[in-house]
Amino acid sequence: MPSLETKNVVKKFGGLVATNDLSFSVDNGEILGIIGPNGAGKTTIINLIAGTLPVTSGKIIFSGEDVTNFAAHERNQKGISRTFQTVRPLDDLTAIENIMIGALFGQKMGLKDAREVAKEICKLIGFNNFDRSIDQLTVLELKKIELGRALASDPDLLFLDELMAGLNMEETYELIDVIRKLQKRDLAICVVEHIMKVVKELTSRVIVLDQGQIIAKGPYEEVSQQKNVIAAYLGEDE
Amino acid sequence: MSLTKKQYIMLFLLALIILIIALWQPHALIYGIQRGSLYALIALPLALVLGILGVLNLAHGEFLTVGLYLSYMLYERFNLDPLLSIIPVVIILSLIGAGIYLLTIKHVLKDGHLNQLLLTFGVSLILIEIINIIWTSRPRNVFTSYSYSSMSIGNFSFGTYEFLYFFMAIAVLILLQLFLKKTRLGQATFAVGQNPRGAKIVGINVSYVYLFVFTLAVAILGLVGAVMLPRTAIFPAVGSPFSLKSFALAAMAGLGNMNGILIAGIGLGIGEAVIKSIPGAGGWADIVFFGVLIAVIIARSYREGN
Amino acid sequence: MNKKAILIILTALAVVLPFFTGAYVLSIFISIFVFLSLSLSWDMMLRTGQLSFGTAGFFGIGAYASALAVANLGLNPILSIILGGLFSAIIAFALGFVVLRLREIYFAITTLALTHVFSVIIRNLSDITGGASGTILPNAIFNGDPKLIYWAILLITFMVIGISEMFKRTKIRFAINSIRNDETTAKSSGIDVFKYLLLVFVITSAIQGVIGAFYAQQFAFVNPESTFSLNFLLLPIAMALVGGIYTTSGPIIGALILGLISEYLKLLIPYGHLVVYGVIIVLVVLFLPEGIFKSVKKLFASKDNVGSDINAQS
Ligand SMILES: Nc1ncnc2c1ncn2[C@@H]1O[C@H](COP(=O)(O)OP(=O)(O)OP(=O)(O)O)[C@@H](O)[C@H]1O
Ligand SMILES: [Mg+2]
Repeated sequence: MPSLETKNVVKKFGGLVATNDLSFSVDNGEILGIIGPNGAGKTTIINLIAGTLPVTSGKIIFSGEDVTNFAAHERNQKGISRTFQTVRPLDDLTAIENIMIGALFGQKMGLKDAREVAKEICKLIGFNNFDRSIDQLTVLELKKIELGRALASDPDLLFLDELMAGLNMEETYELIDVIRKLQKRDLAICVVEHIMKVVKELTSRVIVLDQGQIIAKGPYEEVSQQKNVIAAYLGEDE
Repeated sequence: MSLTKKQYIMLFLLALIILIIALWQPHALIYGIQRGSLYALIALPLALVLGILGVLNLAHGEFLTVGLYLSYMLYERFNLDPLLSIIPVVIILSLIGAGIYLLTIKHVLKDGHLNQLLLTFGVSLILIEIINIIWTSRPRNVFTSYSYSSMSIGNFSFGTYEFLYFFMAIAVLILLQLFLKKTRLGQATFAVGQNPRGAKIVGINVSYVYLFVFTLAVAILGLVGAVMLPRTAIFPAVGSPFSLKSFALAAMAGLGNMNGILIAGIGLGIGEAVIKSIPGAGGWADIVFFGVLIAVIIARSYREGN
Repeated sequence: MNKKAILIILTALAVVLPFFTGAYVLSIFISIFVFLSLSLSWDMMLRTGQLSFGTAGFFGIGAYASALAVANLGLNPILSIILGGLFSAIIAFALGFVVLRLREIYFAITTLALTHVFSVIIRNLSDITGGASGTILPNAIFNGDPKLIYWAILLITFMVIGISEMFKRTKIRFAINSIRNDETTAKSSGIDVFKYLLLVFVITSAIQGVIGAFYAQQFAFVNPESTFSLNFLLLPIAMALVGGIYTTSGPIIGALILGLISEYLKLLIPYGHLVVYGVIIVLVVLFLPEGIFKSVKKLFASKDNVGSDINAQS
C-alpha cells in the first residue's frame, strides 16, 4: 500500500485551474521529486494534501484512508507534515519551542516529552541554539526549525517545499544528508525543488507539473531529456 | 449613477416593499425613508474612510456628536440658526478632524487592525468625555419653528423637515461620485483606494489624499450634525450608535458601493420604522441594525470559507 | 528579596487589608479587582490574536442571570455568581461556533454588536428583566458587609490570575501563541485552532459572567444602561494596554495604576474623568505598544546593563 495516493485532484481558484486531475502516489521509504516552473501548482498540491486548502474535486488517500475531508490538524496528527516555502516560524516562541509544537499537538504529547523529542530532533538536524529567539536565527537555522517542527509531529509522509532555496552549497548538502537519514527511517518524502542538483541527488523518481498538470514522470535523468519538459522550463533559469 | 444588475434587483425589491408598506403603514414608510436617509448620509463618510484609508473609524459617531454640539454652541452663544451654522461648523469640525488625523490616525495606517480599532476607540472615548466635561451629560435641544413643519394628505399628516436628509443623502452621493470621477483630486483618491502603492509610483501624494479624505468625511459629518440639530435632543453619547450602524450599512453594501449604502440605509430605516410602529414590539427596532450587521458578517464569512 | 517573596507579601497584604482600612478604601479596591479581572480576561482572549469587544456583553448577561435568579427564583446569591458565569459560558459556547469563524475587524465588530443585541433583548424582555428600569434586589450580597465583599472579589481575582497563569504555563500557551502568530502553521502542526479558540472564548466569557454577577450582587441592582455600559470594555482594555498585553502582570499593574488614578480624578472632575482612559489608550497605541510598565522596565533594564558594563570594566 502506498503511503499517499491522490486521485484526480482538481483545485480551482475562481477561473484559474491550479491543479488539474492530478493522480500520483508515493511509497514509504521513497523520495519523490515534484518539479515544474513557477506557478505550476506545486505548492498548491501540498496545500491540498496537507489540508490547508480544500480540494475542488478528487480524493486524497493516506495510508489507505480517505482523508479528503479531514481538517489540516487532523491530517497532521495522522502523520502528514509539511514545511513552508517561505519559512513561517512562530515569533513569540523560542527556537526549540517552535519545534516542540509539532510534538505537543501533532503527537499530543506533554511538555516534558515534547521537549525531549525536540532535543532529539535538534540532534538529528544539527541545531544547537535551543533557546534563541527567532529573530536571532540565520537562514539555515530558520530552515532547520521549519524542518524540525514538521518532524516533531512524527510524520509518515513529509513534504519539503523548496527547503534549500536561499542556502549555499555547503548548507544545502548538510540538509541533503539529513533528508537521507529520514529516508532510512522509512518516511515517504516529497521534495519540491527548483535546484536540480538537489533533485538529482535525492530523488528516485520525479513528476513534472506544468499549469497544474503532470506532463512527465519517471527518473530525473530520463525526464529531464524530454522535449515537453524542456519546453515548459524554457525561459526559466534553473 | 451606473447601477449593477444586483443593485437593480435590490432597487426593485425595495420598491416592492415600499409599495406594500405604503399601503399598510404609511407613517412607518415616511419615517423610515427619513431615518434611513440619515443613516446613509452618516454611513457614506465612514465607508469613504474605510474604503480609501482601510481604517474602520470607531470614533465616527463621536465626530457627529461634536458637530451637533458645535452647532448647539453657536446657537446658544450667538443665537445662530442651526442651518446657518453649517458653514462654521463644517470649518471648525474639519480642522478638528484634520488635527486628530494628523496627531493619531495617520500613525497607525500601516499597523494591524488591532491598533487601528483600539486607537479610534480611544479617540471616541476622549471626544465623549471632553463633551461631558464641557457640557455635562444633561440632554439639550434647540427649537426652531421650521423643523416641526408638517404636511397632510387627507387626514394623514407627517413631518417634512426630515425629508431634507433624503435630499441631502442623494446630493452627497452624487457629489461624491462626481468628485471621484471628474476631478483630479478625486481620481487620485480613487486610485489610492484601488492601489496605494501603485498610486505612489505614478506620483500621487498618497498621504495628502488620506488627509483630504479623512477631513472630507468629518466635514460631511459637520454638515449632517448642523442639519440634525433642530430635530435631535443631544447628549454626549448621541452619535455613538451611528459608528456601528454605519459599518452595518457599509458591510451590507460591500466596499466601494456607495449607491448600495443609500439603498441599504433606506431598507433598514423602513425595517426599523415598521417594527417601531407595531404596538408593544417597538423596543425591538434597535435590534434591526445589529442583527443585520451580524448576519451579513457571518454570511460573508461562510461564503468566503467555501 | 526575590520575586516569590514579594508576591507572597503582596498577597498577604491584600488578604489582611480589610483589618486596616475602612469601607471607602475597600470599595476602591473592590472596584479595582473587578476591572482587573475583566482586563485579564480580555487579555487572555487577545493572546489568541482575537480582539474581543464583547467583554461588556458577557459581563452584562452574567449580571442579569445572577440578579434574576436571586430576584425571581430566590437562589442563594453566592450560587448565583456561579450561575452567572455558567450562563455566560453557555452563551459563549453556542455563539462561538459561528463567531469564532471570524477574524480581526469582523470578530471585533461582531462581538461589539452582540453586546448591543444582548442589551436590547434584555430591555425588551421586560416581564422577566424589568425592562429599561432594571431590577432591584432586596439585599446586597453578604448584607453589604464590605469586608466579606472584598474577600469574595479577592478570591475571584486570585482564581482569574490562576487561570491566566495556567494559560501561560501549560500546553495551552503553545497553542495560543501559535494561533496568534500564524494560524496556518498552527493548523499544519496539529493544532485544532477552533477548539482552542472556543476553549479560551468560553473561559474568558465565564470570567466576565462571574464578574458581572458579582457586580450585580454587590450593588443589588441591574439595568440595561449601566450593566452593559461600554466602560466594562474600555476600562479593562486601557488597563491591559498600560500594564502590557499578553501577560498576567500587565493587567494587574494597569488596573492598580489606573484604578487609583481615576479614583483621584473622579474627585477632581466628576464629569468626564474617564477622558484619562481614552488618552491612555491613544498614547499607548501610538508610543508604547508594549505597555507603559514594560517600556519603563526596559528603560531601567537598559540603564542597569550600562551600569553593569561599567562595573565589569573597572
Ligand atoms: N490562494 C490562492 N488564491 C488564488 N490563486 C492562487 C492561490 N494560491 C496559488 N494560486 C495560483 O495558483 C497557481 C499555482 O500556484 P503555486 O503556488 O501552487 O505554484 P508553485 O508551483 O508552487 O510555484 P513556485 O515555484 O513559484 O512556488 C499560481 O498561478 C498561483 O497564482
Ligand atoms: Mg510554490
